[in-house]
Amino acid sequence: MSESSAVSSSVPAEPRASSEAPPSPEVRAEPKAKSNEKSGKRWSVRPRLVDPERRAAVVGTRQAVLVVDNVSVSFDGFKAITDLTLILDKGELRCLIGPNGAGKTTLMDIITGKTKPDSGTVFMPHDARDLTQLTEYEIAALGICRKFQRPTVFAGHTVYENMELALTGPKGVWNSLFFRLSAEQKQKIEQILEQIGLHEHAAVRAGQLAHGQKQWLEIGMLLAQDPRVLLVDEPIAGMTHQETERTAELLKSLAGERTVVVVEHDMEFVRSIAQRVTVLHEGKVLAEGDIDSVQNNPRVVEVYLGEPRT
Amino acid sequence: MKAEPAVGLKALHDKRGWLALAVATLVLCVVIPVLSLAVPVSSPLHLPDYLIALFGKFLCYGIVALAIDLIWGFTGILSLGHGVFFALGGYAMGMYLMLSIGAQGVYKSALPDFMVFLDWKELPWFWRGFDYLGVALTAALVVPGLLAFAFGYFAFRSRIRGVYFSIITQALTYALMLLFFRNETGFGGNNGLTDFKSLYGYDLHQPSTKVALYLFSALGLLLTYLLCRYIVTSKAGRVLRAIRDAESRAMFVGFNPTNYKLFAWTLSAVLCGLAGALYVPQVGIINPSEMQPANSIEMGIWVAVGGRATLFGAVLGAFLVNGMRSFFTAAMPNAWLYVLGLLFIAVTLFFPDGVAGALGRLKRKS
Repeated sequence: MSESSAVSSSVPAEPRASSEAPPSPEVRAEPKAKSNEKSGKRWSVRPRLVDPERRAAVVGTRQAVLVVDNVSVSFDGFKAITDLTLILDKGELRCLIGPNGAGKTTLMDIITGKTKPDSGTVFMPHDARDLTQLTEYEIAALGICRKFQRPTVFAGHTVYENMELALTGPKGVWNSLFFRLSAEQKQKIEQILEQIGLHEHAAVRAGQLAHGQKQWLEIGMLLAQDPRVLLVDEPIAGMTHQETERTAELLKSLAGERTVVVVEHDMEFVRSIAQRVTVLHEGKVLAEGDIDSVQNNPRVVEVYLGEPRT
Repeated sequence: MKAEPAVGLKALHDKRGWLALAVATLVLCVVIPVLSLAVPVSSPLHLPDYLIALFGKFLCYGIVALAIDLIWGFTGILSLGHGVFFALGGYAMGMYLMLSIGAQGVYKSALPDFMVFLDWKELPWFWRGFDYLGVALTAALVVPGLLAFAFGYFAFRSRIRGVYFSIITQALTYALMLLFFRNETGFGGNNGLTDFKSLYGYDLHQPSTKVALYLFSALGLLLTYLLCRYIVTSKAGRVLRAIRDAESRAMFVGFNPTNYKLFAWTLSAVLCGLAGALYVPQVGIINPSEMQPANSIEMGIWVAVGGRATLFGAVLGAFLVNGMRSFFTAAMPNAWLYVLGLLFIAVTLFFPDGVAGALGRLKRKS
């Protein structure tokens, strides 16, 4: 199949996309230039706001918090994502699954502003702005936070200090020089530490935590940033069985107030947490629904669960 | 729940830390001056003048070590060009001292001797105002600060890091050394500024003036230490360490590393300028050799030997290395560079966290 070779060709693009540096001008300009050449004048000047009628039409009566509307992106001719539409409801826990190269990470990159799509928009219904026109910082400030596959915490700082640094608020030099945690902020940190199960390790250096605990700490740091939408990339990679179970509990408890999107390969894990599952395949939504309907969907079985399961 | 004490160091120091600091202050600011001034010369406890001048020099080096620890130990940026900031501070003070010689110079002219020698008729514009101590002291802090700010702004904004940054700082100090070597630059060229007579009306050769300068250096070191201590125990200090350990993550939680680096870097340069200004009246000369790249590297070695990111370790390292230097250059002058090299190798191999780290391990064992 020609796609399978194309899949691997998209891989070199991924390390660039997942390195945490903010987009340099070249990186940002590149997809745009490509889109110009591909689709002519149509996208040469893109509006910064999303048309309200279009917003209303896509969202309908749903309680949506984030909408990916008809997005396409290609890398060197390989269509990583094609006309993809995804609507995330307030407070839901959504699992995103699909074989390698299905476009899961690319989708995350588009939502967080690392990759600019060739066409389509991303928006939050309460806000008219098109997220694909914003920088990573601006998107993070809207409350869309992302956890990467490899846990990155401040190893030399204590767990508590990690949380303190992640906390929302002014981040300038002058402010930090005279910063004191308010009672409210202390309470918030303690509450999050309780939630991620690290309150007994508050004084421990983050570098001394077990792998799973680091993952939780990173999730806690995201929570300290007051997110509306949490994008969690492969949270249980490298975790023990018990850690996996606790992570499942943690993610389930986070949904409700916030919308949580989990990208995961481990079907066992997905089954244990998912309310709704979206299956991606070759850059398109193949199926969406609860875990049972998705698992019984013959097309899903064919492309993803194809090998007979034991 | 007991999470609160986990946030770094809440106070500047714990009780024992304050006690140690008080003892050090007492020794430096009371015991040593008394031994020098009040104890009669005949007594074996009397401290001769040259030792006071030597200790005063060490105190200035201590300030430099703190400044380097702030930017290297805590922010992870190794500067091999801090000698240039030190020298600029020194030159600012030297200009004031030069102008206060007045007509007592060799040529009996109001112009500094080297200008008469070069057949200059009037003071260059950039020497104006340096007959005021306040102007000279301000320049000693502001000029290194401005140079560091401009240099750092472009370097950090272009995300120049690690060894590349260190190499550029070497180039910076070397370039300024060559510039100051030229007679036309207007700072005395090769010979620099020397033959100082008095500071603010006080004769520089009087023992009491020497002790006063020594005391100002001690005060400068103490205040610098407290300032650095405040910064590294504040949230800003934790951000600096976060940038040192995981810069991209720090960006991701919303900090702009460029601003933080620029802050630490500029402050570090200003502190070096202060040290230079205190240093020059005590040694009586400032010339371009202070900007030799090797000098700046040696400053880095003080901090490495003492222990990075501890502050008191940096001061200890500066005292230790310079004490050894004074001993060896007197006892066996040819051996000093070998000793310095061996010291650096030994520290890198056996005490990567320096003397302070080794002391800390000893304490934990017992």
